[in-house]
This record gives sequence, structure tokens and C-alpha cells, in this order.
Amino acid sequence: MALIEIDDLHVTFEAKGRPVHAVRGVSLAVEVRESYGLVGESGSGKSTILRAICGMAPVTGGAIRIDGRALAPRRDRGFARRVQMVFQDPYASLHPRHTVDRTLGEPLAIHGLARGAERGRRIVQALADVGLDAAFRFRFPHQLSGGQRQRVAIARALMLEPEILLLDEPTSALDASVQAEALNLLSRLRAERGLTFLMVSHDLAVIDHMCDRLTVMKEGRAVENLDHAQLARHDMKASYTRELFAATTERIAAAE
Amino acid sequence: MSLLEVENLRVTFATEAGPVEAVRGVSFRLDRERLGIVGESGSGKTMTGRSVLRLIRPPGRIEADRMAFGGVDLMRISEREMRALRGRRIAMVMQDPKFSLNPVMRVGAQLTEGLRLRDGMSAREARAKALEALEAVQIRDPERVLDAYPHELSGGMGQRVMIAMMLIPEPDLLIADEPTSALDVTVQAEVLRILDALVRERGMGLMFISHDLNLVARFCDRVLVMYRGRIVEEIEAQRLSQATHPYTQGLLGCLPKIGGARGPLPTLARDAAWSE
Repeated sequence: MALIEIDDLHVTFEAKGRPVHAVRGVSLAVEVRESYGLVGESGSGKSTILRAICGMAPVTGGAIRIDGRALAPRRDRGFARRVQMVFQDPYASLHPRHTVDRTLGEPLAIHGLARGAERGRRIVQALADVGLDAAFRFRFPHQLSGGQRQRVAIARALMLEPEILLLDEPTSALDASVQAEALNLLSRLRAERGLTFLMVSHDLAVIDHMCDRLTVMKEGRAVENLDHAQLARHDMKASYTRELFAATTERIAAAE
Repeated sequence: MSLLEVENLRVTFATEAGPVEAVRGVSFRLDRERLGIVGESGSGKTMTGRSVLRLIRPPGRIEADRMAFGGVDLMRISEREMRALRGRRIAMVMQDPKFSLNPVMRVGAQLTEGLRLRDGMSAREARAKALEALEAVQIRDPERVLDAYPHELSGGMGQRVMIAMMLIPEPDLLIADEPTSALDVTVQAEVLRILDALVRERGMGLMFISHDLNLVARFCDRVLVMYRGRIVEEIEAQRLSQATHPYTQGLLGCLPKIGGARGPLPTLARDAAWSE
């Protein structure tokens, strides 16, 4: 049985009194310890699927199941222990007036997990796990570079030792060299902790590098499901996938 | 004589902790060609572009041994003379149309403002000229776009409007700062085709500022690679794969490739000597 199952999911927002049908009947299943990618251009509904899993988007049809159980209408603490999200923009997702210590300590406080010396130990360990020195503990986000902020955001998501990480364009705000470091960090953490990833990106090359299987999305619909081998063989059926593939490879081929 | 000549450009910001040099002695020439300036955030590429228009606010300061555009010494002329060049002869397109178009003004009013105020055109003449400009950037329904507000346009459409606006006065030099970074890959290609045609057909000079080495390699004639305020390598775009500087090589190597190996990506081992 798959760890994450999404069945004929529909998400409809209300914008200016008009319904906007952002996700239109998407189904997918992510196995335990798998890394699954959602790729598509802006407005394709890929991020909305992650937000729907977290209860941050109005689901108007279909079902989302974790470990075979349908999610409660309101996500509870148990959900937060199992599923965490890393957002695209580390400038917007960290509280600007909280130190790294407070940001990382908050999940522990909410879940009543660790206090005093144990709390401090876990925060320093979490920083070390994402490759940051303990000296970063009492800094504010504005004192960190983009790559360091994203490391803090990843550390925050891992504080509760979840099984599932939802990654929404985790490296698209980063420079190429910093992106490589962040992707390597995510791969290492997944291997070490047996995490399951559901990752969203507009960059097919990033998804190809990180994911075993992927769904290509366009205008709220799943255009095609592919695995890593099929992509490597250019074995794709939908013309939109080909277009996206060509636009991505053309950029890369130019330099070779 | 080149269209633009820059010698030993320095941009310094006075901060509480002492002066910070964002650009440290950059020299280059630009003719009627596509010159790419690549680098990561903080490399000084944007500051270099803005310096040409003298668009650096205090506490920032621009210094150069020489900065000449069409023989005019940009370091010496008055602010008034500089204003006469901006827009008309040297134009700039910024990264994100969301932040560079006025959100509460219809596109048509923004496109014709300059024509009416600067060139004293009538409303009708200005509108005709604006329609023509939108057609030049391949907007299919220009009448509708003229009457739209920026939020009613997609990102690609907004960026084309920005380009159209900058091109109406037919500048000799266009400085494009990450003009396609906010756009989807399939839309990017279209915007690049438009810029390319403008360089070829109008003989405009283009300074193309980007963090995306591959994009620049495909699109430009010549590339300057910047690192910490200096040019570390200058290379013909077609020969980018033979780049010799370790920073350029590192930037090319750290991108994931479709069908590439799945092991850890090579990362950049920064060398203090690169910023010397």
C-alpha cells in the first residue's frame, strides 16, 4: 500500500466571486521511501496539491490518504508529526523577528517534546544535520544568506522527525551552486532517515535528478506519469511533456 | 569607437561597517551585439548594468576611469543631460513585470505616457504607436492589452509589455536585467526570440544580465563572467564549454542534467584567489 494516495483530487478556489478550478481530478500514489516529483509551469496546480495535503487549500472533491487513512478535515498534531513542508521562498517562510533558535524550538514547544538542555541539544543537532555550525543558533534570518535560510527551513521541517517531506520548489530561489548543495543535502537526509519526498519544481532537470517517478501537470490536470528510466530514454507520450523536455534540454545542450 | 566603453568601473556603498565595494574595477566594451553578463547573486552584475544609467542611489557611489556611450562621457554630464539619454537612447528592462509596471494604471496609459509628455504626441498618435509596439513584441490582441491593468496580464505578457515600452523610443542600447527569469521555460523562448530580432533588425546593442549561464551561452555573442564584483572570465558564448576559469567551470558543472548521474552534484569549492 502506498504511503500517500491521492485519488481524483479537485481543488476549487473562489476568486472575485468566480470559482477557479486549480486542480482537476489528479490521482497519484507515492510509495514508502520513494521520491516523487510534480513538474509543470506556473499555474499548473502543482503547489496547490501540496497545500491541499496540508489542509491549506479548499479540497472540493476526491480523497487524500496517508497510510491508507483518509485525512481528517482539520489536520491535527499527529499529522504534523508525520508530514512537514519546505516552502519555496526562505525569505518569506522564516519569521523575520525570530532567531533560528526560536524558529527551530517552536515545533518542540508546540508538541511538548523537549525543554531546557534537551531542547538546546536538539536544536544544535538539527543545525549540524543540515550542515550549519552552532554559531548560527542565535542569528536572525536577515543575517543569513539564501542558502543558509533554506537549510534552516529544512532543519525546521525535520525537528519533529517526520516521515514525509513536501518540498515546494525548495531550491528555485537559490543560485546554481547553492542549489547543488541544497539538493545534495536533501538526498543525503532522505537516505539517512528513510524519508518519503513529494517534490514540486518547474525545473524538469531538478525533478529528474531527485525523483524516481514524476507527474507532469498542466492547467490543473496530470498530463503524464513517467519514471526516471522513461525520461532518460525520452519515452514520453504527451506533446506537452515533449515541449517541456525540449525547452529544458535545449538550455542545457547549448553549453555542451 | 564602441557604442559603450567602460574602464575600471567601481561601485562603493558606504555602510556603518565601512565601505563595501559591489563592483571592483570592471572594464568592457559593447558594440551592436548581444553581450551577456553572468554571475550569482552579489556578483555585481546588476550594479554594473545600473551604473551605465547612473541609477545608483546614495550611499552608493559610482567611479570609473572612463564610461562613454556613443562618445558621450557618462561620468561628466549633468543629471539633466543624463535624463535625456535614459529611456530615449539607453533603456532598461527589469526582472519582474509585477514590480515594474504601475499596478493602478492601464497598460495603454503607461505605454503612451512618454510619447505624450516627452514627444508631445496627440492621444491618437500615441495610441497608434503603442499598438504598433505591442505588435512588434507579438502580442496577439493589442487592443485588449492596452485597456487592461497589469494584474490582468500573465507574466509573459507583462514582460512583453515592458519590452514594448522600452523599445518605443528606439534606444541604441538595451540593458535587460534577468528579463526572462520570472517566466516559464516555454514563454522564455518567445521573449528571447523577440529580443534577438530587435538586435538583428534594429542594430541595437544588448546587455543581457542573467544568473543562467546556459541561457546566456545560447543567446549571446560574448559573455562576461562576474564573481564578487570582478570579471573573472570573458569568453565567446559558443566556446563557453571550454571556459578555463574554475568558477565558470564550477557553475556549469553544478547544474543537474536530465538523464545525468544521480549521485551528489558537484559543488563549487570557492577559492579566495578568485576575488583578488
